[in-house]
Amino acid sequence: MTAYIIRRLLLVPLLLFGVTILIFGMLQFLTPVERSALYVRDIPKTEKALDGIIKKYGLDQPLYVQYWRWLVGTKDQATGERSGGILFGDFGFSRVGSQPVASLIKQRFPNTLDLTLWAVAPVILVGIWLGIQAAVHHNGFIDQAGRVFSIVGASFPTFVFGLLVLMIFYSKLQWFPPGRLSDWANQVVMSGGFRSYTSLLTIDSLLNGRIDVFWDALKHMLLPILTLSYINWATFLRVTRSSMLETLRQEYITTARAKGLRENDVIFKHARPNAMITVVTLAGFTVVGLMGGVVITETVFDYPGIGKAAADAAAQLDVVTVLGFALFNGLILIIANLVVDIIYAVVDPRVRLS
Amino acid sequence: MSNHNNILVKTEDLVMHFPILSGVFQRQVGVVHAVDSVSFWVRRGETFGLVGESGCGKTTAGRTILQLYRPTSGHVYFEDIDLTKLKGEELRRMRRRMQMIFQDPYASLNPRMTIAEIVGEPLLVHNIAKGAELEERVREALVTVRLSPTFASRYPHEFSGGQRQRIGIARALVLQPEFIVCDEPISALDVSIQAQVINLLEDLQEKFNLTYLFIAHDLSVVRHISDRVAVMYLGILAEMASRDELYNHPLHPYTQALLSAVPVPDPVIEEKRKRIILEGDVPSPVNPPSGCRFRTRCPLAQKICAEQVPVWREVAPDHWVACHLV
Repeated sequence: MTAYIIRRLLLVPLLLFGVTILIFGMLQFLTPVERSALYVRDIPKTEKALDGIIKKYGLDQPLYVQYWRWLVGTKDQATGERSGGILFGDFGFSRVGSQPVASLIKQRFPNTLDLTLWAVAPVILVGIWLGIQAAVHHNGFIDQAGRVFSIVGASFPTFVFGLLVLMIFYSKLQWFPPGRLSDWANQVVMSGGFRSYTSLLTIDSLLNGRIDVFWDALKHMLLPILTLSYINWATFLRVTRSSMLETLRQEYITTARAKGLRENDVIFKHARPNAMITVVTLAGFTVVGLMGGVVITETVFDYPGIGKAAADAAAQLDVVTVLGFALFNGLILIIANLVVDIIYAVVDPRVRLS
Repeated sequence: MSNHNNILVKTEDLVMHFPILSGVFQRQVGVVHAVDSVSFWVRRGETFGLVGESGCGKTTAGRTILQLYRPTSGHVYFEDIDLTKLKGEELRRMRRRMQMIFQDPYASLNPRMTIAEIVGEPLLVHNIAKGAELEERVREALVTVRLSPTFASRYPHEFSGGQRQRIGIARALVLQPEFIVCDEPISALDVSIQAQVINLLEDLQEKFNLTYLFIAHDLSVVRHISDRVAVMYLGILAEMASRDELYNHPLHPYTQALLSAVPVPDPVIEEKRKRIILEGDVPSPVNPPSGCRFRTRCPLAQKICAEQVPVWREVAPDHWVACHLV
């Protein structure tokens, strides 16, 4: 087990190198003017200013020098101040957000993380539960209903569903508003008395003892969670169902029945753990997908997460910002992949011991 | 029917049909006649061999007897208890007394459980032992099948086929059952390991007074291990007799053909020996032939064979056969 985890950890630097090379490669398609955003806040106005930047930050140097400088940044000879350097968390400047990309991420990511936190249980656990029910009642009513649902779910686009629930629950019923917080709650959060512990609004409001703010934050997330559940349930239902059916056909399930186990124990003690091996991967990537920002859902519900920020940047051709988000996403993916691999080893002795 | 009191397991007109579902609404479009009106009995302490080609329904018969498939009709008696009438808890409790050894030692062990968990679970679910006593019982069971007790904390994938099969046997034995269905327990193993497992099964039978239903397609192995043998063809029984009677005086043309296919380890006899080669393939169990199911391949088939189903009857003491021509 330890050797397995160490081997996985050794892969991480390699993956990081791959991701950075990829993103750096894409940066090379940009003009020097656009690339200057990696190091300076303002767009160089004159030819002369641009030349100065190219010289100063080595944008005319060979690629490997540029790559190195992109990683560690450039120190100003006079002031000793560093600019750029993704290893130090400097992803350049977002000209659309008029702030460094890193601080834009820092501002938006907690919102996405908050949404992920509350979406994981309904999206993944309920999805898996649906799949197990469908498999256990194979060809029964629940299974057929699930099949119809998963076909509709897979073929009905997110934005259509999102707009539909927005029409019903916001426009018609006025139950759940879009956005992040109501104005009054926003004022509470911005006021001096409200302390930020985790940057996650739901957690912070609880820690501050503001149940009303907590409810308001949760209310704003309900429709996005509903939409995310709807699009992911279809996948989880299908994958869990087929994995579970496959497992239930295994001979060791017959063995378990022959031993004299109750059917419930056969399903939940013997079949489910084995069926979960495939589902763990899907769950891992779903969580990564949620954490990386769900562009369409966040946009439809005007939810200020990193998905929406990236979409806004892309709409305004702020490529440095978009690539900053891509890099951040890559980091999350690598970490999550590592976590999934470790969970794999925990749930499957064949992986653990090989 | 001699020795009536000694019968441990008996089937009466056992039928197992599997529906074939098709189309959008999963309507039943046909039926697989896996087991059709099969009647035989197994005496306490004996090994009853059930032979037949692949797909003839012998595995289904074994599983239906243990109620792993619920039969379409017919009865299975364990002593005087009709297993087909039992449900839920009652059936679950009966499983202490009847166990199964599976054909595939790779697929039949849960890969996520340790050997101790696999072997010990039956004791737990039947509330027979737990804690230290459970460990001791598992240890005993492993020693009985000649495995080291130190294997208890390992997982199935760390073992060879022969070792896994012995784990499967330990699992079946741990409940101290009276009756064990051995479903082709050696056909997935290397030849060198087969003898080892067969000998183990024989030793265990002697030690614990076990009754075996031994399902196999290998006629030599069945001859070696069985006291009585039944031959199955396309879901029905063709012939049943004591081992020596069946191997020396086969009456059913199918039994005769099967036995003639067993090679003799003597080149002189082997060369002179007459072989009956069966024509064609086994018909589909979805549409079995009318009358006698073997008639399409029987070298002796006559008009009556297509018209009437042969009666399963005792033609000599303890020698049963289903054929119009006997």
